Amino acid sequence: MSLIDKYVAEVGKHLPLLKGREDVEKELKSTLEDMLEDRAEQTGRPRDEAMEIELLKEYGSPQKIASSYNPHPYLIGPRMFPFFLMVLKIVLAVVVVVMLSISWIKAISAYPLLAADFMQIIFQGFGNALSTAIAAFGNVVIVFAILERVLPEKEIGDFSDEKEWDPASLAKQPDPDMVKRGDLIADVVFTVLGLAFLNGLFSVPVFTEEFARFIPWINAVFLTEIVLDVYLLFLAKWTVVSRVAKVLIEAAGIAITIMLIRTPNLTIFTNESLLNFIKVSEEAGGVALIANYTTSITLVVILIIQGIELAKALYGLLRINYRKK
Amino acid sequence: MENDELVQNMLLELRRGTLSIAVLSQLSKEQYGYSLLKALSDQGMEIDQSTLYPLLRRLESQGLLQSDWRIVDEARPRRYYVISPQGKTVLEKLKLEWSDMMKTMQKMLS
Repeated sequence: MSLIDKYVAEVGKHLPLLKGREDVEKELKSTLEDMLEDRAEQTGRPRDEAMEIELLKEYGSPQKIASSYNPHPYLIGPRMFPFFLMVLKIVLAVVVVVMLSISWIKAISAYPLLAADFMQIIFQGFGNALSTAIAAFGNVVIVFAILERVLPEKEIGDFSDEKEWDPASLAKQPDPDMVKRGDLIADVVFTVLGLAFLNGLFSVPVFTEEFARFIPWINAVFLTEIVLDVYLLFLAKWTVVSRVAKVLIEAAGIAITIMLIRTPNLTIFTNESLLNFIKVSEEAGGVALIANYTTSITLVVILIIQGIELAKALYGLLRINYRKK
Repeated sequence: MENDELVQNMLLELRRGTLSIAVLSQLSKEQYGYSLLKALSDQGMEIDQSTLYPLLRRLESQGLLQSDWRIVDEARPRRYYVISPQGKTVLEKLKLEWSDMMKTMQKMLS
């Protein structure tokens, strides 16, 4: 086997699996022979191994030559890429939401809830969501890499077809910095109701001393929120300062809720207190359980809502900063 | 130095588009790869083998070229390429576009 044959075989080994590999090899061999012949003629020397080595060195490494025959060196090609990104975003969003929801549900249904277990379950939930998201990313890539190779080119083209785009749709988009008056008014009404309830205006004495320690803090947050809402109603537009204030208020609210979740005996419904009314310890335990569940679930729901509000506030703040630049 | 590299890359891109037209234009008469390479080189169009052969395959898969193996010299079968009827039509269109482009560019660069 001559050096040229070995070289050609080496190129063939690195060729992508395509039909016509033999053709490529045959053509390459014939070309190299032609070149050698030319070279021998030009230099007036007979062809020898030194000349072959020189030629092959100029021609390039077998890997390089083989890769030049790969017409499509993509895992996911540019035509498929926008569609891939779209699917990836949807899949990741769904996976993260589902995994986090599962951990929240687990956290709520753990009993006794009022313990460090709660935070542990939540953190584990974040960890699970992250690892599942990474796995989902891998799976989406695999599916698209297969599609890229299986689908005929024409069908790939269909994905990137742009739909008729109407510039008028831009005009319909509201200014993101305009405040929504309805939302603000509702917010004020409910916050005032919350304040009234917490401060015993309806005189429903279900909360313990433990809970009462939090009331001044909650009042502070609620009052700040009302002040901000009213200010925004007058201003009719978000500013950087008000966005920052909103973020701080939401963060403070979350801190209080988390502390509440970690505090046991928020309501007066404990086994001992209920025994005074019910007299049968098993039934009392049952009622206490339900009461504690209700409190816990309420707190967790509040925490989720606050989380969403914080995310919205942060997003608004980042966007306003981004646009200013 | 930095500019040299930039110019090289831009030239590479500039040439890439013209190569298909150059190759199609030289294949009204059938040629095998190496003879085509020399024909192009004789007219001042230097092209690397590792660019030419994959390009020929691509043009053939697009139906613009036809090829077949022929044994002229018994020891060395050669693959001959020639432009296809579809290739001729495409080349005519490309020629028109090319001369328009030339005029525009000349106007802008003069």
